[in-house]
Amino acid sequence: MARQANTSLVAGLSAAILAAFGLPLVLGGQWTGIFTSTACFAMAAMGAGFMYSRLGMVSLAQVALMGVGGWVTLRLNHAFSLPFETNLILAAVVTSVLGMLLAIPALRMRGLYLALVTLMVAGGLEVVFTAYQFPNGGAGFWGVGTSFAAEMRRPVLAQSDGAYLTYTLLVAMLGLLLIMAHRQTAPGRAWALIRRSEAAAIASGTNVTFYKTWAFGLSGLLAGLGGGLLAGSLGLLDASSFRASESILLFALVIVGGARFWLGAVIAAVLYRVAPGLLNNWGVDADLALIFFGAALLHAVTTAPDGIAGQITGLFRRREAKA
Amino acid sequence: MIALDGVTVRFGGLVALDAISAQFEAAVSGIIGPNGAGKTTTMNVISGFLTPKSGAVVVDGTDLVGMSPHKRPHWGLRRSFQREQIADDLSVLGNLLSLADNLHGSRAERRANVDAALEFVGITAMAGRMGASLNTYERRLTDLARCLVGQPRLIMLDEPAGGLTVEESAHLGDIILRIGGFCPAQVLVIDHDVDLIARICAQTLVLDFGRRIAFGPTAAVLADPAVKAAYLGIEVDHA
Ligand SMILES: Nc1ncnc2c1ncn2[C@@H]1O[C@H](COP(=O)(O)OP(=O)(O)OP(=O)(O)O)[C@@H](O)[C@H]1O
Ligand SMILES: [Mg+2]
Repeated sequence: MARQANTSLVAGLSAAILAAFGLPLVLGGQWTGIFTSTACFAMAAMGAGFMYSRLGMVSLAQVALMGVGGWVTLRLNHAFSLPFETNLILAAVVTSVLGMLLAIPALRMRGLYLALVTLMVAGGLEVVFTAYQFPNGGAGFWGVGTSFAAEMRRPVLAQSDGAYLTYTLLVAMLGLLLIMAHRQTAPGRAWALIRRSEAAAIASGTNVTFYKTWAFGLSGLLAGLGGGLLAGSLGLLDASSFRASESILLFALVIVGGARFWLGAVIAAVLYRVAPGLLNNWGVDADLALIFFGAALLHAVTTAPDGIAGQITGLFRRREAKA
Repeated sequence: MIALDGVTVRFGGLVALDAISAQFEAAVSGIIGPNGAGKTTTMNVISGFLTPKSGAVVVDGTDLVGMSPHKRPHWGLRRSFQREQIADDLSVLGNLLSLADNLHGSRAERRANVDAALEFVGITAMAGRMGASLNTYERRLTDLARCLVGQPRLIMLDEPAGGLTVEESAHLGDIILRIGGFCPAQVLVIDHDVDLIARICAQTLVLDFGRRIAFGPTAAVLADPAVKAAYLGIEVDHA
């Protein structure tokens, strides 16, 4: 089992590095941007996926938290002349702390109630984003000016869209490694035990509050990174991208993709970002994607609890077993 | 010594434990009684999952009431649950490490503690297997091994032989009897299997409807007519 996990890790890393450097070469202009934002949403999806699969906690605020990461990145970018990396890290930290705060009301709750609390937070953030919009270089704390668009700085090493895609994919990969490192060490074990039962975790001396808060912080961190990178990619963010319904959609797609697998987060993000673009290209109404997603979710819930990634992994395992 | 002094627990109108007092001095002691007698409730009080309405729990001179439950393993308390609590997505080793993670000491020390517990229970060979792949017996052994990590002072096992065959249960009993040679912990066992209790426990507390029916040397307790009467129902149930 451990060996399988390692093989899957090596395969994943190689694929990610290949994609990070290869994709920008083969993609056309519009697609470079779409894949960059796909990688950003994949980071948020990873957070939701590990929370769900390792702790059994449903967080419906991941996209809203991306909005927070994006907001902070833009705000810092237009207020100071710090390098992009500094803004990104600060944004990730702020989002992570917000994620942990979100954990406080959630600690005593489970299942549906926990999901509802996170959804309420997403709703609250939606209201704030819609009311104040995202900083674009204007004056004041909210930094929003009319018909205004100050420059959004990018990393020194990743000025072009292609290089920025590589950069984003590499950060996403680091995020994935961060989750994997957690799973191999004390927090991962504590999470596994908490998922088995909180009583068992407590009886083993696990500080359940601490490790749950940590999980929220980690998943917030990933969402913050994704949001910050999205801000760097687009330069401007729009409140409509971070509605509560988007958080729900992303979570649903994580289930469809397979919450237990890194591939699941990738599939979720691709479905989330690429599928509507493809439908658009084909001249089909992008809203049709929602119907398709709904059917896929039904399929996942009823017959494939491990999602598409689980089915793919199962296929490979069966082949290996036969060979 | 585990000293319960007038421990009372109420759930609404139900008196789950009615001023229970008992002083366990034996290396291995038992708690028996029919379903709903208050056995698990007693363990929940000692492990801090329930705060008694009144009464004291003093173990080796430490008053445990008030110590938060997740700090008790650090003090030296271990417990298992009526339903085994093995995490399916951790290996056997990972399941033991999940307890060791919360103890003091260097990584190497904690790992050595885990290895010693695996070795003692005799499951070193399956350390790498995932929880999901274990059968009932292997799960119970892993649960027991987790309770032995890191020099515990008090180990409480809630129906450790639940779901096991007669042979498996006997083997488990042997291991429990040997615990004294592995660490200085006092062991408290709940089980419905009276034969197992009679074999491994020197002292036994019998509960029924939250009341203490008998307490003392196991043989004497089991010969008590009041105990026999309380157990009549169970004997019929098992037949
Ligand atoms: N959290 C709780 N809330 C309400 N009632 C409870 C709770 N826990 C236990 N009880 C009740 O307290 C009584 C004692 O329960 P307990 O679990 O201690 O029994 P037990 O002796 O362990 O029984 P069994 O052999 O079935 O495990 C039962 O009537 C049970 O229904
Ligand atoms: Mg019980």
